[in-house]
Amino acid sequence: MQPTSSLLGRAMRYRRLRLTTKDVNKGFYKGTGTGTIGRHTKHGGFIIEWEKVRSYVCPSLENFKLTPFVTKNVKKTFGEYEDRIGPKNPQLYLNRWKSENGLD
Amino acid sequence: MASSGAIRMRPAVMGVVVQSCRQAAKPSSLGPYINTVALSTTASVLKRHTYKGARDTRDHSKKRGESALRRTGTRWRLSMSDEPLPIPVPREELPFVETDPDHGLWDFFQDRKTVAQAPELDSQHGRAWQVEELRHKSWDDLHRLWWVCVKERNRISTAQWERTKSELGFGDAEAKTRDREVRFSMRAIKHVLTERFYAWEDAVKLAEEDPEVDLSGKGTPYTPSEYLEDELDGEAMYEADVTAAEEERNVKKAEPASAPAMIDPSEIPASKPPGEALRI
Repeated sequence: MQPTSSLLGRAMRYRRLRLTTKDVNKGFYKGTGTGTIGRHTKHGGFIIEWEKVRSYVCPSLENFKLTPFVTKNVKKTFGEYEDRIGPKNPQLYLNRWKSENGLD
Repeated sequence: MASSGAIRMRPAVMGVVVQSCRQAAKPSSLGPYINTVALSTTASVLKRHTYKGARDTRDHSKKRGESALRRTGTRWRLSMSDEPLPIPVPREELPFVETDPDHGLWDFFQDRKTVAQAPELDSQHGRAWQVEELRHKSWDDLHRLWWVCVKERNRISTAQWERTKSELGFGDAEAKTRDREVRFSMRAIKHVLTERFYAWEDAVKLAEEDPEVDLSGKGTPYTPSEYLEDELDGEAMYEADVTAAEEERNVKKAEPASAPAMIDPSEIPASKPPGEALRI
C-alpha cells in the first residue's frame, strides 16, 4: 500500500502556510490592515462614516526652506536634560507654552 | 494519382463538386494528370477563395506575410479594402506637444530629461534630522517638512522604477541610502509629535494646579507671577524699551564714529527674555 502523493506533497505544505484573504470558501474574513471606513447594512449595503474616512492635508510648501536633510558639517545634536524623564517632562512643555503662547 | 495537382478539399465540399461536375473527369488541356473537376470556381460551391497569382505554399497559411506592425495590408480583398482609410502620420512628423513647465507632476522627476539622476548626484545629500533638532520646531514647520520628505521619497521611488524599466544601470544603492535618510527624518518627526502629545496631556494635568494658568476659558490663560504683583510697571517697561531703541538709532545716524556715552546701569530698563537662538 502506498500513501497518496498529494497528502504528503504540495497539499500538506500548503496547510502549513498562513491563511490569506483568498483562502476558505466563505465565512473567513481577513483584513489587510487598512482599517474600517464605515459599516455594513443588514441588506448587504454599506454606509460610509465620513468621520472614519482619512483625508490627507498637504500645506502650501511655498517659501519653505527646510529639506529632508541636514548638512553633515553640523554634528548630531542630542538633548541634555537634568532628570530621567528628560524631554517628556510636562513642566518643560508648560514652560515652553508660557514663553511662546502664553502672552499675546 | 493526380495528387500533386489536386487541391485538398473537405469531404462535404468534395461531394458537392463531384455531383455538380458529373461529366468531368476527362483529361483537361492542362495535362492528363491534373484533375480539373476540383478546380471549379463557382462561388456558391467553392468555400475557399483564391487570389490572382496564388500558389500552393507548403504550410497553407492564409496569413503568410501579413503584418500589422510593418503595415503590409491584408492579403485578401476585404469589404473595406476600397474605402480610403487615413494613413497615420510618421512618428518624426508628429506635432510637438506643449507642456506646462510649472506643472505639479514635474515634482515627481529628479531630472526632466532622464527621470532618474546620476548616482553621483543622488549620493550628494546630508544626514537625517535628529529628534532634538526637531523638538524646537513648530507644528507648521514639522507638517511641511513631513510633506517635503514624502515628495522626496516619491521622487526616489519614481527614479527607481524608471531605472529598472529602462535598464538605466547602477544607482540602486545610492537611492536606497538617500531614501533611508529621508525615512529617518520622517521617523524623527513622528517621534517628536508623539512625544509632544504625551507631554501636553501631562502638562494639562500640571496646569490645573498652576496658579499662573487659567484653564477655564474665560480671561487670559496665562498671567506671569511677576506681572501679577505690579501690572503698571510692566506697561511702562515696554514703553521705555521702545523709546530707548529709537534713541539708539538716532544716535547711530548722527555720530556713527563717536565713542559710546557713559550709561548708568540702573537706568537701563529690563529687556524681554531672549528669543530662541537661530538653528543653523
